[in-house]
Amino acid sequence: MKRKILATLLASAMILSLAGCGGGSGTEAPAADNGGAATEAPAADAGAADAGTEAPAADAAGGEETLTVWCWDPAFNLNAMYEAEKVYQKDHPNFKLNVVETPWDDIQTKITTAATSGDLSTLPDIFLMQDNAFQKNVISFPDVCADLTNSGIDFSQFAAGKTAYSVVDGKNYGVPFDNGAVVACYRTDLLEQAGLTVDDFTDITFDQYIENGKKVLEATGKPLITMQAGECDLIMMMMQSAGASLFNEDGTANIVNNDTLKVVMETYKNLKDAGVLAEVNSWDEYVGSIVSGEVAGTINGCWIMASVQTAEDQAGNWAITNMPSLVGVSSATNYSNNGGSSWAVTTSCKNQALAADFLGSTFAGSTELYDNILPSGALATWAPAGDSDAYGAPSDFFGGDAVSAKIVDFSTKVPSNITGVYYYEARNAVATAITNYINGSDLATELETAESTINFNMGQ
Amino acid sequence: MSKPKKMTLSRKHNLTGWAFLAPGALLILVMSFIPMIRALLLSFQTGVGANMKPCGILNYTRMFQDKVFLQSVKNTFFYLIIQVPIMLIFALILASILNNKDLKFKGLFRTMIFLPCATSLVAYAIIFRSLFANNGLINLLFVKLGILDQPYAFLTNTFSARIVIIIALLWRWTGYNMVFYLSGLQNIEYSIYEAAKIDGASAVQTFFRITVPLLKPTILLTAIMSTNGTLQLFDESVNLTNGGPANTSITMSHYIYDMSFKYVPNFGYSAAMSFFILILVAILAFLQMKVGDKRD
Repeated sequence: MKRKILATLLASAMILSLAGCGGGSGTEAPAADNGGAATEAPAADAGAADAGTEAPAADAAGGEETLTVWCWDPAFNLNAMYEAEKVYQKDHPNFKLNVVETPWDDIQTKITTAATSGDLSTLPDIFLMQDNAFQKNVISFPDVCADLTNSGIDFSQFAAGKTAYSVVDGKNYGVPFDNGAVVACYRTDLLEQAGLTVDDFTDITFDQYIENGKKVLEATGKPLITMQAGECDLIMMMMQSAGASLFNEDGTANIVNNDTLKVVMETYKNLKDAGVLAEVNSWDEYVGSIVSGEVAGTINGCWIMASVQTAEDQAGNWAITNMPSLVGVSSATNYSNNGGSSWAVTTSCKNQALAADFLGSTFAGSTELYDNILPSGALATWAPAGDSDAYGAPSDFFGGDAVSAKIVDFSTKVPSNITGVYYYEARNAVATAITNYINGSDLATELETAESTINFNMGQ
Repeated sequence: MSKPKKMTLSRKHNLTGWAFLAPGALLILVMSFIPMIRALLLSFQTGVGANMKPCGILNYTRMFQDKVFLQSVKNTFFYLIIQVPIMLIFALILASILNNKDLKFKGLFRTMIFLPCATSLVAYAIIFRSLFANNGLINLLFVKLGILDQPYAFLTNTFSARIVIIIALLWRWTGYNMVFYLSGLQNIEYSIYEAAKIDGASAVQTFFRITVPLLKPTILLTAIMSTNGTLQLFDESVNLTNGGPANTSITMSHYIYDMSFKYVPNFGYSAAMSFFILILVAILAFLQMKVGDKRD
């Protein structure tokens, strides 16, 4: 008898919890819908009944000034959103954010699922998107991201190279967030052993870089840079430093007749052959090589500095400067971009004007916000933020240099290039080409293979 | 009067049986078969992301012109042809050693060999990656012992990268197959071995004349399971080598994943490639059953 009671209890508990799960997701959505519709309707009614006074309508909507946001890093972009909420609440006391921590891979999967099923109601109001995935998602799922071009946000104050990631067909779909401006980091103590200083690495070309690198290799036995084999971060940075892309304006692949790409490939091979660049197998090995002092420097997006700074025993021995420029390319510069993300507003957002105004008056309009989030390493791509005093503060880790101001300055000089919808396909094809080219195969043939691979992927 | 009552009883039993079956069957139908059918329909469509349109069998002809996919098929078959036989032979040898009645610490050895199966696929792949890293344990050993002058980049050379994957697979799955053989061996009368011993059969003869023939059904089972598993290999390719260098260690499933989630999503094509794997598994399983079954 006892056992029977127990079984019944267990079974009912299971059924209840199942029902609970099903009911939870089932009832939540309609409730939110009703809420939105309910408040919207009176507002509209009020407006219709009394066209002269808009205040009641605004008040009615004011009760529902809550936006849901998805982003992924608690110390970094979640924190930035909370700070933005505080800044915006000063003028909009009813405003509230519901920030949900969601890893980027999950955001991508959820966007894919929502867009393919046609039910966008599962998406938040605002989400953070990797810059490299922006074009792909806007074009693959045209219904997901709202057009922000005429939303009142001044996009001209952002670095052009950065904004370009979220522009599709001349329309702005994203508000740029974190900075991916490329910095070259060097171990000054190791450079010293080779009789060099950071100044010998500032505003240089890759030819000079290789020469200097050989000296460092001779004096210390350490390479100047490590890179992850099979990934072409450095290649993409070199390409953008000259404003070049793997794609043409019309979206066709630009590989075989791309002279800049040829220079980039040859430069990369020279770096490798000279021993100045050492390849490692994985990301952790790459970071490990920097932190454990196996390498005399690195070139990457400025977010790499967070990893560099985990090597506390090397404090004061690091310095940053701009990256080397390509030789024999007329548009070559010492500035580039790698990584970073932008805020997007979804079309399922009930109050798109509010979302746009929120982003416009915080991430595209508040130096206070950028000052508040600077300690977490979030550097602005919004030019006016760089003039703030907080950005001039020296960093002890980097030898007392005002690194933040330097990076903002770099970021405004980054040439813009075309990401392309098929960015990841092109990247992989080029990574394959460079691997084979380093191992001795012919450059022209490899580039032809790469182009045909990309064209194959595009031709569906 | 008693007869219909009996009928109702058996019918009652039947109904109870169906009632117990129904929830599971329904769940399998909803969770497994309906998605499969949807995937089949999807494989006849093409397009970017959400914009799909019918295309007939284009996806199925397309994959034979896809160099990366053909490369991934080649890689997967390389793993299959090299790894599965080695693994099954190893497992068989280990099982017959551990089946020896006089062996001490049998339980300990069995546990040790089976233990790798209890590790997570991702975790063990990452551990193998760090073992074979440029500054990893293997390179350190080789350099210290004077076998190598400087660290060898195992994962950035095609051949060694594939070998590392095969070694990893052997480590992970040999114990799993061994357990099947061990349980198969329990069903072989020990007196047969004793009889063979009396007849003067050597250990090798006993193995090939008694153990292997009597274990045939189990060997067939493990062969089909391993083939199936290898054709769907994913974790090792993603986590150990990331498909590199230059796609020479990428597996079919890894490429399908890239096509759906990393690249511009083309779900129709991905679905078609998945069905290609299904067909391959079916053909290979059929062949193995034909070869393994000599009853007719």
